[in-house]
Amino acid sequence: MEDKFDCIVIGGGIAGLSAALTLAKNNMKFLLIERGEFSGAKNVSGGVLWGEGLSKLVPNYWEEEDAGFERFINHRRLSFMDGDSSFSIDFKSSSFDEKPYKGVIVLRAKFDNWLAEKVQEAIEASKYPDESFMAPNILVEEVLMDNGKAVGIRAGEEKFYADSVIISEGVNNLLTRQVGLQDDYVPADALAVGVKEIIKFDQEVLEDRFQLSINSGMSNEFIGTATQGVEGGGFLYTNKDSISFGLVLGMISLRDSGMKPYDILNEFKAHPVIADTLRGGEVVEYSAHAVSTGDMKVMPKEIYGDGLLVAGEAANLLMNSGKAIQGMDYAMHSGVLAAETIVEARDSGDFSKNTMKAYRDKLEKSFVLQDMKNFQGAVEFLHSKEMFQSVPGLVCDFGKQFFSIKNEPTPKTREMLSKSVKKHSSYWQLLKLGIKGARSL
Amino acid sequence: MSKILVHVATAEGKIKRSSLEVLSYCRKLADDNSLGLEVAVLDIDPARYADTLNNYGPDKIYTIKHPIFNNHLSSPVIDALSALVDKSAPRLVAFASTESTKEVMGALAARHSAAAIPDVASFTINGKTVETERPVMAAKVLSKTSSSSDLVFVSVRSGSYDVAEKPGSAAVEEVAFDFDEGGLKSILKEVISSAGDKVDLSEAEVVVAAGRGIKDEEGRKLIEDLADTLGAAVGASRAVTESGLFPATLQIGQTGKVVSPQLYFAIGISGAIQHVAGMANSKVIVAINKDPDAPIFQYATYGLVGDLFKILPLLTEQIKQVKAD
Amino acid sequence: MKLSVCIKQVPDVSAPISIKDGTLSQDSDRMVLDAYSASAVEEALVLTEKHGGEVQVVLVGPEKAKETIRKALAMGAASGVHIQVDDISGLDSSAFAEILAAWHKKSEYDAILTGKQSQDTDAGLTGGMLAWSLELPFAANAVGLEFENGSFIVKRQGDSGQEMVELKAPCLITCSNDMNDPRIPSLKGIMQSKRKPVETVTPADLGVDIASLSSDSKTERTGFKEVPGREPGKKFEGEAEEMVSNLMNLLENEAKVL
Ligand SMILES: Cc1cc2nc3c(=O)[nH]c(=O)nc-3n(C[C@H](O)[C@H](O)[C@H](O)COP(=O)(O)OP(=O)(O)OC[C@H]3O[C@@H](n4cnc5c(N)ncnc54)[C@H](O)[C@@H]3O)c2cc1C
Ligand SMILES: Cc1cc2nc3c(=O)[nH]c(=O)nc-3n(C[C@H](O)[C@H](O)[C@H](O)COP(=O)(O)OP(=O)(O)OC[C@H]3O[C@@H](n4cnc5c(N)ncnc54)[C@H](O)[C@@H]3O)c2cc1C
Ligand SMILES: Nc1ncnc2c1ncn2[C@@H]1O[C@H](COP(=O)(O)O)[C@@H](O)[C@H]1O
Repeated sequence: MEDKFDCIVIGGGIAGLSAALTLAKNNMKFLLIERGEFSGAKNVSGGVLWGEGLSKLVPNYWEEEDAGFERFINHRRLSFMDGDSSFSIDFKSSSFDEKPYKGVIVLRAKFDNWLAEKVQEAIEASKYPDESFMAPNILVEEVLMDNGKAVGIRAGEEKFYADSVIISEGVNNLLTRQVGLQDDYVPADALAVGVKEIIKFDQEVLEDRFQLSINSGMSNEFIGTATQGVEGGGFLYTNKDSISFGLVLGMISLRDSGMKPYDILNEFKAHPVIADTLRGGEVVEYSAHAVSTGDMKVMPKEIYGDGLLVAGEAANLLMNSGKAIQGMDYAMHSGVLAAETIVEARDSGDFSKNTMKAYRDKLEKSFVLQDMKNFQGAVEFLHSKEMFQSVPGLVCDFGKQFFSIKNEPTPKTREMLSKSVKKHSSYWQLLKLGIKGARSL
Repeated sequence: MSKILVHVATAEGKIKRSSLEVLSYCRKLADDNSLGLEVAVLDIDPARYADTLNNYGPDKIYTIKHPIFNNHLSSPVIDALSALVDKSAPRLVAFASTESTKEVMGALAARHSAAAIPDVASFTINGKTVETERPVMAAKVLSKTSSSSDLVFVSVRSGSYDVAEKPGSAAVEEVAFDFDEGGLKSILKEVISSAGDKVDLSEAEVVVAAGRGIKDEEGRKLIEDLADTLGAAVGASRAVTESGLFPATLQIGQTGKVVSPQLYFAIGISGAIQHVAGMANSKVIVAINKDPDAPIFQYATYGLVGDLFKILPLLTEQIKQVKAD
Repeated sequence: MKLSVCIKQVPDVSAPISIKDGTLSQDSDRMVLDAYSASAVEEALVLTEKHGGEVQVVLVGPEKAKETIRKALAMGAASGVHIQVDDISGLDSSAFAEILAAWHKKSEYDAILTGKQSQDTDAGLTGGMLAWSLELPFAANAVGLEFENGSFIVKRQGDSGQEMVELKAPCLITCSNDMNDPRIPSLKGIMQSKRKPVETVTPADLGVDIASLSSDSKTERTGFKEVPGREPGKKFEGEAEEMVSNLMNLLENEAKVL
């Protein structure tokens, strides 16, 4: 029999790798199992990793030559779109250029693979260079339970045992359900479909078009006709010599529309404003992936158990507040906190629920659950029909009036606004929306 | 005068088209660089090719006659070619890139301390340097590879050059070749050929290639009907040769054969880069696939989005009519 | 039976690739076990499982290539030899063959297995060159392999048909990836791989001078080029009858290939 591990981590996505890196740094004996051919093989994000979490996990990572990042965000834009126009709020600041960077644009296949290398290096530097492992290409089929306590995993015929298990399987919550922490599949109304293309450009063309310097990058979110009336929004992030471009579409709303995500994406690409932006680019990759909408109502009943912790999107830790999707930073932080909790459990020799509860407490105190709680209103607000239908129309309509000069008497701005509002909504509705919005943000 | 030596591959009494392509191009290359052009033929009866070869204007034809060449073994071929290389003393030896060439080229180059550049899409001579372009990274890019060695071996992908005659009347020199069969450390036990091996795939003008989409015997029948009607050779993707529906000899692609017909039908083939590596040089590519986003459509001259089981019978029928007229 | 398998580490050719100023750039710098080498490892494992003995893998490459040796060990090879060369950019098949020959001259084996080509260069030269240096009988492009009475029976894919060739040991065989499906390492395999011996040697230990090997290289890579693209074609959707008559028309009158 092989020796027992301190911990088995299921899933080598952001949450799992962050947990593993933390375990390795703390000289834990662990096994990380990833079903993909390598970490990142099948993972999809827009992808901006927000916040400074990465610099804590891998100090000064930006000094590395082949680190997993593409660019750092110093330019953000939020665009409201109707059929022929877009009205944007645009913010660029060199204060974002200070290290540690607060928005890292990544391509998951590359980033996850790089992070996995960091874990491997940490394993080699730890006390257990030959006893801790990362195993790709293996599917965990079952978490082994003994008297309600997680004791190991089964992959095919093989069983391996550990004092603790971290489930970081991402949005498909099969194992989380198997261990009884979640009753059912995440319901469709709390799920969205993300579709994404990588569109390649000549690097100089890209930098000119988006006004980028060496490492700086831009994020652009879109609300309105981007989604053909389906709930959701669009995104554009600049990579080194490509852009990540796609949509996040509410599952129910998408189903009701009878449209295919790929067709909606193509319509979006044909929008005159977008078509101009994408000119000359070549699509080199297309991918689709489910993503949680960040609705706290569907979080697992509990995210810890005896010998068991759930991290990242498996625990439904994600926020989509309209100005950004935050799933990777939450996955990273929860992975770290889960691992820290396991380290404490090893030190105290107690892997029971009592010790594991510390994970929940840490999350409650951290930005992850604080923000998710405080911004639930914003999440709902964003999913209200007005937000992706009448508001963008209204904003663009106003823009058309405000910015066009016709050599005829120009109405006052106030009149323009009221005209736009009448066309797309009512004052009453807008007032409701305004109050709701103000409360939630 | 310095020379180019072209190895000419034969099969069942015929010179391979791919060898004639190389020979035609080398005649031009030799003229442009004031070099001699010599030919090497190994066969059980090489004299029978002299007339054909003289249509392409070599300055000399070396032959080695030996029954062992019927045996598909590499070591006698290496020994014989080696003797001819010594005799001719060329600066460049050119082959058609066949499976047999692939087997001998490394050992032959090592034996002569020569440079070896296999499977080139094009090559030329620039002063002392042989410059080539060859597909690498699963044929996603071309690598420019050159050599200034005194002796360079290149093998050329089929379809890279056109066959062009240039009549001449070179003398044939038969070179004596003693081969001690007793000393052979390898023995050919058996050649397994299947029905599909009749039409030489890499030489064919029309190829009908089957992919996983043909599913079963019924699909196979549809492919064979179309190929018969067209007088075409049948090819296959790896997914199909693996399934056993067609023999491995018919595999086209990075691991299989390189083909460059006038007309290529990709039927129920997704268009994986490893497959495309073997057929992208075809003149006209027709793709039939039910998935409108299948990568094969990026290469197709004419793409039909639909069910092959519906399309093929109609197509075969119409071609039959055209042929009958 | 002792089998020595030469394995190469190659870039993941499935990752998007582009050319910048004549050099290659890939989105991912992930390195993998060459698929043809992997088939050679698989075949060697099957053979030793049947006839006893063990498999050793030999790799020439930089420090980072150790992970590829581990992969082969996780598949089931018993030991690894890492001939460490940190800069392999100037080395071609002939150079690798020379280094591999130097190692094998000092080692014992019943057969050497290599890939029939490698995924990145598709050269297919190393095996033949190595066989020549070691004066071994060899067969290329194997799609099947058996061992009987001290001889290896190779089924090789020829230009037309398959040929059964018998080679007396010691010999060299280059393997096609059509030979088998390389196994995916099990968890146990991955764990055991870390405890298996990997011997690291330098070319100098083998009496090979890397500097002169790359400066005397007979071939030189001077750059990369895009593959010329094909003209965009015509795509039809709709009723089969209509598509077929459109196609017939184009084949006859536009392409004129019927
Ligand atoms: C289109 C799109 C755009 C997005 N944009 C952004 C963005 O810009 N910024 C952001 O922060 N977030 C974004 N997200 C969300 C983000 O991708 C996720 O929240 C994040 O990946 C969650 O990380 P994770 O580690 O929990 O799960 P994942 O990254 O999904 O990792 C889970 C891993 O577990 C493996 N696995 C699953 N089951 C098993 C098993 N049984 N055995 C072994 N391995 C298993 C999987 O293969 C996978 O590698 C986006 C998502 C989508 C779909
Ligand atoms: C190192 C290496 C070397 C390789 N070498 C080769 C090689 O030499 N040659 C080669 O071919 N492959 C090679 N491959 C494999 C290659 O990557 C692909 O897996 C293979 O080409 C796929 O074959 P396919 O297109 O037939 O099958 P699939 O990819 O499964 O495609 C089947 C297609 O059929 C279509 N289809 C299904 N039903 C129908 C229908 N009723 N009507 C119409 N269309 C239908 C589907 O839409 C699909 O596009 C190699 C791989 C590796 C790793
Ligand atoms: N650096 C290397 N180390 C070990 N084996 C190699 C190396 N390079 C090539 N080989 C072997 O030779 C085969 C053919 O390589 P190539 O000549 O590059 O096509 C590969 O599949 C390997 O088995």
